[in-house]
Amino acid sequence: MRWSTLIVFIGFLGCSSPPPKTAVIEEVSLEGSGNTELPGPQFLSQWNLFEGDQKRLVPTTDLVHYEINMPLFSDYAFKKRFIRLPEGQLMTFKPKSSFDFPVGTVLVKNFYYPEDFNRPEKNIRVLETRLLLRDSSKWYPLSYLWNDDQSDAELLITGATIPISWLDKEGVFQTIDYSVPNLAQCKSCHDIGGKLVPLGPNARQLNNTVLHPNSNQLVAWKTAGLIKDMPELADIDMMPGMDKNVETPLLAKAWLDVNCGHCHQENGPARNTGLHLTYYEQDLYRLGLNKPPVAAGRGSAGLMYDIVAGKPDESILMQRIESLDPGIMMPELGRKLQHKEGIDLIRKWILEMENKKAS
Amino acid sequence: MKFIPYFLVGLIGFSACTEVPEEITWKSIEKDLQQRLILTEDSAVIELPAGNFMFTGGLIMDGKNNVTITGAGAEKTILSFANQAEGAEGLKVANGNNITLSNFTIEDSKGDNIKVTDVNGLTISGVRSRWNGEPKEENGAYAFYPVLSKNIIIEYCEAIGASDAGIYVGQSDSVIIRNNRASLNVAGIESENSRWVEIYNNEAYENTGGILVFDLPGLTMTGHTTRVYGNRVYENNYRNFAPAGNIVATVPPGTGIMLLATRNIEIWKNEIIDNRTAGLAIASYELVKGLATENESQLNNNIETAGTDEAYDPYPNQVYIHHNIFENGYAFPTMKNDFGLLFLMKFPFATPDIVWDGIPAPGTNFQMCLSENGEFNFGNLDALNEFEGLTTEWSEFECTEGTISQL
Repeated sequence: MRWSTLIVFIGFLGCSSPPPKTAVIEEVSLEGSGNTELPGPQFLSQWNLFEGDQKRLVPTTDLVHYEINMPLFSDYAFKKRFIRLPEGQLMTFKPKSSFDFPVGTVLVKNFYYPEDFNRPEKNIRVLETRLLLRDSSKWYPLSYLWNDDQSDAELLITGATIPISWLDKEGVFQTIDYSVPNLAQCKSCHDIGGKLVPLGPNARQLNNTVLHPNSNQLVAWKTAGLIKDMPELADIDMMPGMDKNVETPLLAKAWLDVNCGHCHQENGPARNTGLHLTYYEQDLYRLGLNKPPVAAGRGSAGLMYDIVAGKPDESILMQRIESLDPGIMMPELGRKLQHKEGIDLIRKWILEMENKKAS
Repeated sequence: MKFIPYFLVGLIGFSACTEVPEEITWKSIEKDLQQRLILTEDSAVIELPAGNFMFTGGLIMDGKNNVTITGAGAEKTILSFANQAEGAEGLKVANGNNITLSNFTIEDSKGDNIKVTDVNGLTISGVRSRWNGEPKEENGAYAFYPVLSKNIIIEYCEAIGASDAGIYVGQSDSVIIRNNRASLNVAGIESENSRWVEIYNNEAYENTGGILVFDLPGLTMTGHTTRVYGNRVYENNYRNFAPAGNIVATVPPGTGIMLLATRNIEIWKNEIIDNRTAGLAIASYELVKGLATENESQLNNNIETAGTDEAYDPYPNQVYIHHNIFENGYAFPTMKNDFGLLFLMKFPFATPDIVWDGIPAPGTNFQMCLSENGEFNFGNLDALNEFEGLTTEWSEFECTEGTISQL
């Protein structure tokens, strides 16, 4: 019995030939046409979002430029965000979730890299522009890939890989194959309760003064008559950004909220893990402390718990935000690089947990 | 008799190797197929042609209804993710109704080969999902991975090489897993935190553990009511290659069927043969915690206090086991696992066919009914009391008919 089993295994080893990694693979089409109707206008310019030279991203007057406190890490891409509300209509304030937007709203997010991060306005390469559209019953996404001469962007369904390089703030040359997601991947993050939703425009993210140094973004919007049901500023949550000097757990949870919490929350697609990485989560177990993994597979890296207080190198969470292996890394999509500042922050958070175990 | 099929399988394996391996011509349908999955209208049939197709990223289909993705047969349509550079799954289907996947092979994804989440109505039929080469820790976790879904059928499928479970279903209800084959996985077939699950007429062989029914704390739902019958569960003696930290990494090589902290289970007419360590093991989550805390003693207190989940019951109960055939031709259990060593010491030359950790829910009796299972070795470990009351006596569980009322 044992010998024949062994022979089977030898057979197994000898016969399997992993496919060659370098082979040039011919691209072929599937039979039949399927549905080929484009889900939106073919060119970004058809949306009339920007004035004049498109690549300068100068908004038309009906666009509202906005900033958020803690951006999602996207391989250090710069982002420029706008809202276009239908004429005469208002967004509705919500205390915790994304605001309600009227039918016809367009959310616009541009991704670009300056050639030199120390001169962020110069020699910009715009890569993609993502739109979220509020239809009568739901949100749906469109994604536009900018052409090489930067004159316009074209609707993209299946995603793309674009080589891009820049000088970082330390003057170090960086280069990656930037990944533009396909349309189905949008919902891998923008998914609450199975429905596609916006993520960034919520109170804790929008409560800032970046573009309104003498006031506040939300107050300015209220004054301009863009938003309704907004409480007093003092009663509105604010989430810190990476540059804020606040206590580590608060900043760590803000980072986790943005980079992980879209899936890792009660109604998100990763709720099956029982790991809830949101700004509002108070339960340390649900944040991962001494929590064994559920379906991590090799993502566990041989470790026993998501977080071990004081021991970042024994914490699965740490391993997964550091990894670049698609079968291990978190988040699953949207990065080819480590977010060094985020990693340092989470490491510090886990290290500092040690002395607080009793509380 | 037992030799012949193995001998034949061995021969087939051998003869395949004596031929010069055929050069495989890989083609790509990646862009076209992903576009089809995004743009498809409801009720469409997406046909995958015969051929070998290589992918560099995971495929996703989201929010579709009544869509079928079908190939020309598991031998003919091969989807390989060996060159995958992004995406955590080979094929992910999310948020849909009545999805059918059939008649293709999917292999070598960096994560799970097929993940299906938040789908009501799923049939996977005639699909082979595998990792090539010697089974290893770096293989993806699940070959088939429906989760947070309901009304699921997985049939005539084959799962090979998963570093967690070959055919897995988690946090789902109304599930049928039938007529499948699972081999060289850590767990051949696993149902976790799921309800109304039927696992029948499957073959689970040469895994670390053949068929597992587990219930874990802290998840969106708890499991119960599962029937395991008519399965052939044999030679599940493969080394455990699950990455540590995962619950299946605790499963001893040589486990036929294992129940963990789950209730209202019926197991009958299975052939449970030559699983060297335990034919059928029944354990509480207390035992798992005990193992974890033994290794990481500084965490003793934390795991006790942090893991509180009020809806969770860590004790197995209401288990009805009847008309099974137990055989074990091995003289010794595995020596590579604490339980194997324990059995070796405590049950010399009588490795248990049915073993219970002996930890009942506090203040209650463990309800188990054993009937018409032929000759078998039994073990009650009394694990809570340092194995002091360990016994092979099972008369208290003997019964003539089912005493378990359906939930």
